[in-house]
Amino acid sequence: MAMVPPPFDPELAAALAVLAENLPSTMTLELARRLRAQGLGAVPANEELGRDGFFAVEDRAVPGPPGDPDISLLICRPTDVPGPRPIIYGIHGGGMILGDNRTGVAGALDWAEEIEAIVVSVEYRLAPENPHPAPIEDVYAGYLWTVEHAEELGGDPERIIIAGASAGGGLTAALALLVRDRKAQQPLGQILLCPMLDDRNDTPSAQQMAGLGVWDRASNELGWGSLLGEARGGADVSEYAAPARAEDLSGLPPAFIDVGSAETFRDEAVAYATRIWQAGGVAELHVWPGGFHGFEGMAPQAALSRSAAAARLPWLRRLLGE
Amino acid sequence: MKELAGRLTALDPDAGVAVRVIAYFDRLAESRAGLEALVRGAAVLAGCPARLVDEARHVRIRVEPDGTRRDPDSAPDAGWPREPLILEDPLGAALWLERDGGAPSVVDAVILERAAGVLRQVLDRTRGRAPAEGAALIETLFDPTADVRDRLLAAKPLLGHAVADPKALFRAVAVFGGRPRVLPADSDLPALPTTRLGVGPAVPVLELPRSWSAARTALRFTAAGTPHDPGARVVHADDLGDLALLEKLVVPGAEPPADVRALEATIADAPWMLMTLHAVATTASLRSAATEINVHHSTLQARIVHAEKLLGWSIRAPQGLLRLHLALSMRHLAATAGITDT
Repeated sequence: MAMVPPPFDPELAAALAVLAENLPSTMTLELARRLRAQGLGAVPANEELGRDGFFAVEDRAVPGPPGDPDISLLICRPTDVPGPRPIIYGIHGGGMILGDNRTGVAGALDWAEEIEAIVVSVEYRLAPENPHPAPIEDVYAGYLWTVEHAEELGGDPERIIIAGASAGGGLTAALALLVRDRKAQQPLGQILLCPMLDDRNDTPSAQQMAGLGVWDRASNELGWGSLLGEARGGADVSEYAAPARAEDLSGLPPAFIDVGSAETFRDEAVAYATRIWQAGGVAELHVWPGGFHGFEGMAPQAALSRSAAAARLPWLRRLLGE
Repeated sequence: MKELAGRLTALDPDAGVAVRVIAYFDRLAESRAGLEALVRGAAVLAGCPARLVDEARHVRIRVEPDGTRRDPDSAPDAGWPREPLILEDPLGAALWLERDGGAPSVVDAVILERAAGVLRQVLDRTRGRAPAEGAALIETLFDPTADVRDRLLAAKPLLGHAVADPKALFRAVAVFGGRPRVLPADSDLPALPTTRLGVGPAVPVLELPRSWSAARTALRFTAAGTPHDPGARVVHADDLGDLALLEKLVVPGAEPPADVRALEATIADAPWMLMTLHAVATTASLRSAATEINVHHSTLQARIVHAEKLLGWSIRAPQGLLRLHLALSMRHLAATAGITDT
């Protein structure tokens, strides 16, 4: 069935026209390998992450899941602020197959500068070399370390917010489920930005946006296929890989969810928020009209991007009660 | 992948960049983007602030390269690359890139050209067509010898329904280097004019020839408002009073009066002289004159002593100050070129 896609926001459509050359709508494994070799855009140096000395930046190796290698945490701490401060535990995006703990960390640092928070960004093993559950278990191990060492970092273990975009948003949702079910220390909130939640990849938005925008249905199939192999879309997919599979969305920390109306993930993000409300939970949902996947990071100057970025801080401030 | 859209001009200005600029504005045009999005596009692609000013339609938009809208509170710099939206009308709308220094790059020129092209369409679509002030109509309207009926017929398309109101008043505006204009008396003049304007008195429609004549006189008293030509960019005939009589005495191109010649010789003596004399003549006290040109009071005193020696008269006594003021005004009158006849 041919489906009419919603139009892109005018400014975002224009940005896409410029970006398209470097950013085809459909990701391939070959392109992913090339991007891995080149890095996803410019990798910010520690100095740049430090924001003129506002943050002290360090890379720290901490124990991974039992029996697995250490994982690397990028830790950015405000230097001149008395603790204990909130902690943003960041999980990067990249479709489960790309990126590192510096990818997109600038967004979390923007919030942290405003609310004087610590940022901890986790490096997790990537698919397809490391399929499920390697990524989520790395993310979980980094979270446990952060809870246990929060005070040592000058942080408040009671006020950890977990956050991620795209695949990182999916892993954030999965981490919230895993923490609930393993009865670890709950985070204060979860931020799911254009999250990748559903391996079935068959929503109307996934079908509408095939071949369009950024991270289309074929790219998504590549991402989930890399993470889950043959199991993708089948009966036995764990909710800790694909949070949309969870039967029970009760007992989760308050969620901030945003997504563009013109992207593959629109319907699964909206459905996830709806199911949290139906389970008696708390969620704030923003659907930005005409937004493509990751629009706010790729065209930060556009009016819609600025509105999307501006919506997050008030939520953080209300949550933190500061 | 972030910021790929930004700062295209940092790249080589090769055809690839121009093609992407064109694609950007084509897409904005296709999706019927608004004025702010277009100005933002110019700012983001150029990597410097961009501003759109269309005083006739009350549009003033300025966007910084990070996408923030911050509307202008100062006049555009004469050196910035600029694309007029209405050709040959310096009072009309234009798009600027706030880039200092030197000629615009090839990419800047493409950005201005493409953005201005779409802006023209959007302005016409959203704000109505700017009044097409045909040169022939204006000529008739300002011609005291033209038939009254013809003048009223010419006024209709220029001024619309207001013409039918016998109490309605209008002003002629003389534009330095540009076409004459006529405006309803209560309409706003550009607060930040990019060019020199002489503004005639408010008159009923059939007295516009008188307003035009006064506007042209007022224009001769304007200056560029720069260190080389200090003075007001906009002069209202109503404010001139009998100073306007001087206009008849000084003919551009002819030998200037003696005091103006003395003034010219004095100005040529030192680079600071013109600004100093202008400050002395146009401020209320020597103290405020010193502040205006940012020198110490004693420095100003020394300069004045030097100037008086060259001029041959005292500029501290009220009468000498008046003489200086008149000489400065007549200097403008002697210099004015670029004033067009209808």
